[in-house]
Amino acid sequence: MTTLTRQDLNFGQVVADILCEFLEVAIHLILYVREVYPSGIFQKRKKYNVPVQMSCHPELNRYIQDTLHCVKPLIEKNDVEKVVVVIMDKDHHPVERFVFEISQPPLLSIRFVSMILNFYSDTLLSHVEQLLRAVILKISVCDAVLDNNPPGCTFTVLVHTREAATRNMEKIQVIKDFPWIVADEQEVHMREPRLIPLKTMTSDIVKMQLYVEERAQKAS
Amino acid sequence: MDDLYLENIDEFINDHNRIVTYKWLSLTLGVHVNQAKQMLYHYLDHKRKESSASQLHATYLVSGKFVENGNTSHKVAVVREDQLEDVKSKMVLTVSVHVYSVQKAALKDSGPLYSTDYDAVKENLKNCCKYSAIRCACAAPVSSADEQWGQETTADPLPEPETRNPILNGSSPPAPSKATAKQPKGIMGMFNSKSATRTQDSGREVKTEQKEKTTAQETSKTKVAAKASAISNFFGKSAARSSKENSEKVIKEEIVVQTMRVSEEKSLGSHKAEVDVKEEEHKGSHTAGRKCKDGRSKVKRIEESDSEDEQFESQKKKRRRIKKPQPDSSDDEVIADSSPSHNVDTRTPSPENKVKKEPVSRAEEKTEGKRRKRRKVLKARTFVDEEGCMVTEKVYQSESFSDSDSDSRSGPQPTEQSGVQATLRKKEDEHRGQKRSPVPSGKATKQPSIMGFFQKK
Repeated sequence: MTTLTRQDLNFGQVVADILCEFLEVAIHLILYVREVYPSGIFQKRKKYNVPVQMSCHPELNRYIQDTLHCVKPLIEKNDVEKVVVVIMDKDHHPVERFVFEISQPPLLSIRFVSMILNFYSDTLLSHVEQLLRAVILKISVCDAVLDNNPPGCTFTVLVHTREAATRNMEKIQVIKDFPWIVADEQEVHMREPRLIPLKTMTSDIVKMQLYVEERAQKAS
Repeated sequence: MDDLYLENIDEFINDHNRIVTYKWLSLTLGVHVNQAKQMLYHYLDHKRKESSASQLHATYLVSGKFVENGNTSHKVAVVREDQLEDVKSKMVLTVSVHVYSVQKAALKDSGPLYSTDYDAVKENLKNCCKYSAIRCACAAPVSSADEQWGQETTADPLPEPETRNPILNGSSPPAPSKATAKQPKGIMGMFNSKSATRTQDSGREVKTEQKEKTTAQETSKTKVAAKASAISNFFGKSAARSSKENSEKVIKEEIVVQTMRVSEEKSLGSHKAEVDVKEEEHKGSHTAGRKCKDGRSKVKRIEESDSEDEQFESQKKKRRRIKKPQPDSSDDEVIADSSPSHNVDTRTPSPENKVKKEPVSRAEEKTEGKRRKRRKVLKARTFVDEEGCMVTEKVYQSESFSDSDSDSRSGPQPTEQSGVQATLRKKEDEHRGQKRSPVPSGKATKQPSIMGFFQKK
């Protein structure tokens, strides 16, 4: 059993930083594209050298930032299985679930990759940037494959962790003063879901798959 | 024209759910841009005639003469299909209309159009204008000497060009080219990524007269500069974050030290014992003691002009001077008053040389020989007060003791005089607890010298 060294943790932090930045952009873009909030609160910003839509509303921004701030320590330790952005209708039944499945390479290869990261970091990171850009682009055009949502939708973020991490979530709750609760069954499972894959991304430092589970009949 | 391209486009749009722009298509299939535009038009026409179930959306590029508030300009706009007729009608003279992109999704904004072309152009950076329709015989690559000279000079914006040349139609790519248009020597301007992004945002719809090669090179260099800044953002973010965290930690430590100092000062007029106790608190833990000294010195520097502070310091010094000559009851206090540096020295003990500091409020064992010492012990005193009630009071009384008495630890746990004292006393307990263990062994062997350890070997 190899022990984690400081270099490994540093590498984990780099990956967690990249992923959390990306998830923040992705969540904002999902809210824009799926019209969860009126498009007037969004403004064009630049990320990964392409224009993206980000919200200007401070409460919404803070909520998303706090959410990802709590998720980041879990990603650092590779405890996160998937991050799900659930869009729910007025009755709090999910109509769409954007699932980001995240997996990181095992520890032995991390050291190898972190060596590469030091030598070829420009190439590696620009490659990762390109992949993330492609995922962002896919989110932008996802409304071609999805039905329209009913009005008055809300959203929430669910994090599926590996088993041992649930205890850490309680710790995080105490520290950050941002309560996480175990999700309701009805938020987690959707009746009659339709699976639409959007994008798969494979790189040396992280693998991610994005797909959408959509309820067959959205208008309730 | 071969009809295979129709299937290709169909695959891109329906199977891959891509946005197919004419530029992306020309780079992917290796055809001239005008041919790509015609391909898209034919495909759209074909699909619309079929009236197949799949919903297709298209965007168009319109360019022409536009008059607004008496100002004539050449406007180039990328518009959705439903806005096409409206924009065309507003133009005085429509020079060019062609399909810009075809996709399944109804785009809410123009961002994805730029994203689509970005990677395609980046891959073909050296020859992204290979299939372009914009040509200029006068355009030639700049020599390195000119490059350096251009770098030193700032870029001047070009004046609004008129449509002198009808052959040059508005088929230049909208997003990146508009950025570069205003810079005549402009290749060097691309290294200034700030100006590039600024010009990108402004005036996308204004047509500019451009030389083909400068356009392409500027575009590529904009992207290179932007890419470099994106990469530095990757590093910059984590580096900035780690340095921010470090600075936050440093700031927190300083704040803690300074609050301790402030609390010390607040007790200026209070009982001397409390003052000494607080000094002890500062020395209670190793690191905190040292830092406190530093903090104290820092605060001293900062608050040099504070007369109260100076008074306090002088009073402390005065107290020290008074105490030192007194041998018996103030021995502990002498030790207590010693600076943290002395404290540290005495804390590197050999087994026989365990001079522990004693706070005024606690009993402590002395291990230096068999001397009789005085110590202050907390004792309960019961008496009847004025109202006739029995009152039990815990007071400190000094009593003499020797080594033989030190095994039996007297002194019940003191009542909490202040919460701060209590917590810091616990810290002292831990430290003393660690040190107390070698003491009995030292006694059993009658305080062997430290050299005995080496001699045994």
